[in-house]
Amino acid sequence: MKYTFVVLLITLVSNAYAHQPVMDMAPRWNNGYGVQTRVEHANSETTTWLEGVYTFKPSLRMTLKVPHSNGKTGDAILAMPIKRYKNVGAFTSNWGLTPSVRMPTGGGSKWDAGLSLSYSAESRKVYTLYDLYTIGDTTGIDINAGLVHADGKGSSWFTLWDITAKDSDSGQHLLTGPVLVYFKRNIIVRGEYKFEAYDDDTQWDGNYLSIGIGMVF
Amino acid sequence: MLNKTIAIALLYALLSTPALAQNYMVSVNGIVCEFCAYGVGKKIRKLPFIDRSQYDEGVKVDIENQRVFVAVRDDALFDQSALFEAIESGGYDPIDIRQITNKEPSTEAIE
Repeated sequence: MKYTFVVLLITLVSNAYAHQPVMDMAPRWNNGYGVQTRVEHANSETTTWLEGVYTFKPSLRMTLKVPHSNGKTGDAILAMPIKRYKNVGAFTSNWGLTPSVRMPTGGGSKWDAGLSLSYSAESRKVYTLYDLYTIGDTTGIDINAGLVHADGKGSSWFTLWDITAKDSDSGQHLLTGPVLVYFKRNIIVRGEYKFEAYDDDTQWDGNYLSIGIGMVF
Repeated sequence: MLNKTIAIALLYALLSTPALAQNYMVSVNGIVCEFCAYGVGKKIRKLPFIDRSQYDEGVKVDIENQRVFVAVRDDALFDQSALFEAIESGGYDPIDIRQITNKEPSTEAIE
């Protein structure tokens, strides 16, 4: 029972962020790469994530996310986002299919496979992201939508609202709250705070906070 | 003799006048964000014919109108297909290119 609880907890925390590092979009260029570190607080536990992404070409990337908590390395998640872009005038969008695997780098021997289907669209003023995913016994959806404010000189702000819903063997919960993202050339800073709007989940408790910084090259 | 000297001097002056750089404006589908601009600029700046003394190291991206301005060196051979490939490898779709002569074009000046 205790083992099941730990596995479920890791599953929940590991999937707090389903989409790829660096705002699900960058780097979009061939042979680009990015790194990001993020501190998140959820379920009375603070976890530091080290995340990386390599873009072979816009339609094919590889990402790696490694969590650290209480001085220990947790289970790393390796994923391969496959994207199909559509660019029309002042509008760009993409569909993404992301197979992933969670590796037992934190101890244990359990491997988990996952799959995510996402759609994101961006215009000069509006950004949206929908990410539906499943891994193990967990199914979730993450929605980001909001406004883009670009200064035309290399930096921009995204003020978004996030809705995250999850369903697993331990129950369901729904979190929602603001997301603030700042870009300056190749640097991105992202902060989000999600309130617990609905909780019928025996393995979830409280709100969610995440603050991160990333760079792309 | 004097006329001949003047004619030679005028011809020399004319030939030694630096040519006005021929820069280019490319319409690019989907280039709407600063991060998009960063990636495309990064790829274009690697091209050998880019004049990095103009714009922002040779490139200026107008995300309001989905246009990319490219400065070309006077002594270099411009390669349009290389430019389009660079934009595509930056993740976007070039759809049209136009030559411009002004080095710091405003939107109105190139219409």
